[in-house]
Amino acid sequence: MTTMERPLFSVKGLTKYFDGIRAVDSFSFDVTEGSITGIIGPNGAGKTTVFNIVTGIYRPTCGEVLFRGENISGQRPDRIVRKGIARTFQNIRLFNRRSCLDNVITPLFQRERCGFLGSLLGTPGARKMERDLYERAFGLLKDLGLEKFASMQANTLPYGLQRKLEIARALATDPALLLLDEPAAGMNPEETRSLANLIAEVREKFKVTILLIEHHMDLVMNICSPIVVMNFGTLLARGTPDEVRENPDVVAAYLGNRKERK
Amino acid sequence: MDYILSIVVLACINMIAVLGLSIFTGFTGLFSLGHAAFVGVGAYTSAILTYYYSVPFPFALAAGAAAAGVVSLVIGIPTLRAKLRSDYFAIAILGFGEALRVILENLDITNGARGLPGIDSFTTLPVVLICLAGGVLVARNFLRSRWGVACIAIREDPIAAEMAGVRLFRTRLLSLVVSAVYCGLSGGLLAHFLSFIQPVMFTLLQSTQLLAAVIAGGMGSISGPLIASFVFIALPEALRVAQMWRLVAYGLLLVLIMVYRPQGLMGYSELSSLFRRKKAEPVRRQP
Amino acid sequence: MFLQTLITGLSIGGIYALMAVGYSLVFSVLNFSNFAHGAVIMLGAYVGLALATKLNFGFGLVLAGSVAGAGIIAVLNEKLAYSSLRRRKAPSLYLMISAMGCAVFLENLVYATIGSRFYAFPEFFGRQVVTMFGSSLSLLDVGAFLFALTAILGLHLFISRTRTGIAIRAGVCDMTMCSLMGVDLNRLISIVFLLAGAFAGVAGVFLGIKYLVYPTMGWVTNKAYIAAVIGGLGSLPGALAGGLILGVVETFVSTYVSSVLRDVFSFSLLIAFLVWRPNGLLGIDSEDKV
Repeated sequence: MTTMERPLFSVKGLTKYFDGIRAVDSFSFDVTEGSITGIIGPNGAGKTTVFNIVTGIYRPTCGEVLFRGENISGQRPDRIVRKGIARTFQNIRLFNRRSCLDNVITPLFQRERCGFLGSLLGTPGARKMERDLYERAFGLLKDLGLEKFASMQANTLPYGLQRKLEIARALATDPALLLLDEPAAGMNPEETRSLANLIAEVREKFKVTILLIEHHMDLVMNICSPIVVMNFGTLLARGTPDEVRENPDVVAAYLGNRKERK
Repeated sequence: MDYILSIVVLACINMIAVLGLSIFTGFTGLFSLGHAAFVGVGAYTSAILTYYYSVPFPFALAAGAAAAGVVSLVIGIPTLRAKLRSDYFAIAILGFGEALRVILENLDITNGARGLPGIDSFTTLPVVLICLAGGVLVARNFLRSRWGVACIAIREDPIAAEMAGVRLFRTRLLSLVVSAVYCGLSGGLLAHFLSFIQPVMFTLLQSTQLLAAVIAGGMGSISGPLIASFVFIALPEALRVAQMWRLVAYGLLLVLIMVYRPQGLMGYSELSSLFRRKKAEPVRRQP
Repeated sequence: MFLQTLITGLSIGGIYALMAVGYSLVFSVLNFSNFAHGAVIMLGAYVGLALATKLNFGFGLVLAGSVAGAGIIAVLNEKLAYSSLRRRKAPSLYLMISAMGCAVFLENLVYATIGSRFYAFPEFFGRQVVTMFGSSLSLLDVGAFLFALTAILGLHLFISRTRTGIAIRAGVCDMTMCSLMGVDLNRLISIVFLLAGAFAGVAGVFLGIKYLVYPTMGWVTNKAYIAAVIGGLGSLPGALAGGLILGVVETFVSTYVSSVLRDVFSFSLLIAFLVWRPNGLLGIDSEDKV
């Protein structure tokens, strides 16, 4: 393992202004390969904005996003996906009126090289590729325990399963780094626990590095290390769960400490 | 008999154009108020080729379809690259269609607003049926292909589609070109059926009719718009309703659909799915 | 010659501006392109025409009647075709398509019942001519221009000074919040459509006097919508500026370049603005947020 030499992914001096408001302000952090890194912070701290910049939805005002040593900031989202970064969304964004299988096959198809004419004419080769992809998509659904729902329309699934389907779709892009934006939002404690197991399983099985934003502290404290704490768009603290829990700045940010106000 | 035959041929020609617009609007989620212009480009290109240059009909048809595809790039590249709001895009295409019609009205080779008479009537029922059947087959294959799947993903959620690796601009542009090619083919067939074409046949009004068929038939469906388009053409012809009353009805229909049934006749489903019952597993809510 | 062209352009631009105001007003509140506005303008012109020819009303009464008629039609149009879409928060595109349906419906209804004949208003202004800066200008052109300026200024004052106007501006910012604060949203939107309709009535009469009255006179491809886009949809000063700029530029193109190219030019301008400056010259930012 060469993980100690260079982080898989790092953000350097990332800054984003929205109409003069600083959503993210010279924010820097690293993600080591194979880790489950958590980002926490109060609402409006700029966590999702960081995800949106990393995945190319927003252009940063300045700063760098380095993935495997290459600066990918400002590139098109689909390019970044191809480089190996996938994500889920805080407010689930599935292809609602399509089946679960179709949701997963969309990213699988985009990675294949298909002949345009062959596809239009429906040649045996194109047909075979289609069948193979459907099998792979079904396999992915199986990995996440969704195979029973394969032919169901995505928006008819219960909430927790929709979140799982989003993870399946993200995994179908074959990522090296998976960004999860509040994967446990709206889940009860039991569902949250099973999600924690799932995330750990996914990391093992798919060999992905995971970066997740979460408000459920028990989930973060259980599976994430290191944890990055954001406040007002800047890095407040970084460390193991225990270090973060005992950091006075973090406690102040969450509970509001008058002495700490600058 | 000839009368019924001509209604069927006209309806099928219209269905080919509607099929194209359905790929663009129903499956990619972009609305256009200018696709009649692509029908016009196909009609004029193929008619000019057979009329002035005696090009064989199949080649002229193909050239008309190709020309429509190329012309669609002119408007598609700037507007789709700019990621316009969906209604602005519909309007930009509207402006483009109108500009194109004005140009057709003022060229020498198109014989201006008076129109081009005396085009050979090569379009027969078998020709039209072959084109329509081929068109449906290709459309179905397209929608199952890598690109069609990407189009539908964009319709459902452009941002999620990009995060699934879909190239937004290219896929939308491809969808536009494919739909324009269908319209161009339909135009070529139309010109060689009526044997007379005029720029006024390809205005915003016709674009609205095409869009009305797609919306009434249902977004995300192939069979719905085809049925709607057939009814739209055949019913008033059969009842011999005057053109303006038809338009009164189209207009009213658009409003009523938007108000009462925005998914249209067959929104997001196909005729074939009515006949086979899907076995869907019951959803068990998690405790 | 130059000055003559300029004044002609300004007077056409004034009428464009009167029409564009209606598009902008509705867009600013409901955020969609109300293509039925052109049909309301056309109906306003027919109302005015009926009053002038059947009842021999004078110009003032014709204008008042047309304003009232078009205002009522616009409000009805909203109630029947848009209000239920608005309530279930349909995408603005659906509203636009419904509006397109209204435009096609109303225009062809007139075409099918009244006919495609071109009607002329009685000559209210005769062929009176004023001489200004050494060139002779028709009284109608000057009058239309000045009237358009005054009316739009009046509307601007209404929106910025009165209680109702302020409620409209609040609605522009946030409709849900506005209704939570106790503003009757339906009444507010009816007022907006009444105002847009009133302007449609004025525009219809001027357009009818300057040209003629016929079913497609307000069709979507007329230049008013383009003017509204150039100025920035949703902005009243923008509608005025856009109307005047388009009127002048168009007149110059058709005088000095080619009258055929005039329309191609206008549509190209529309596309160019939509692509490169969708908020127009003076429009507000209406970008969709992620």
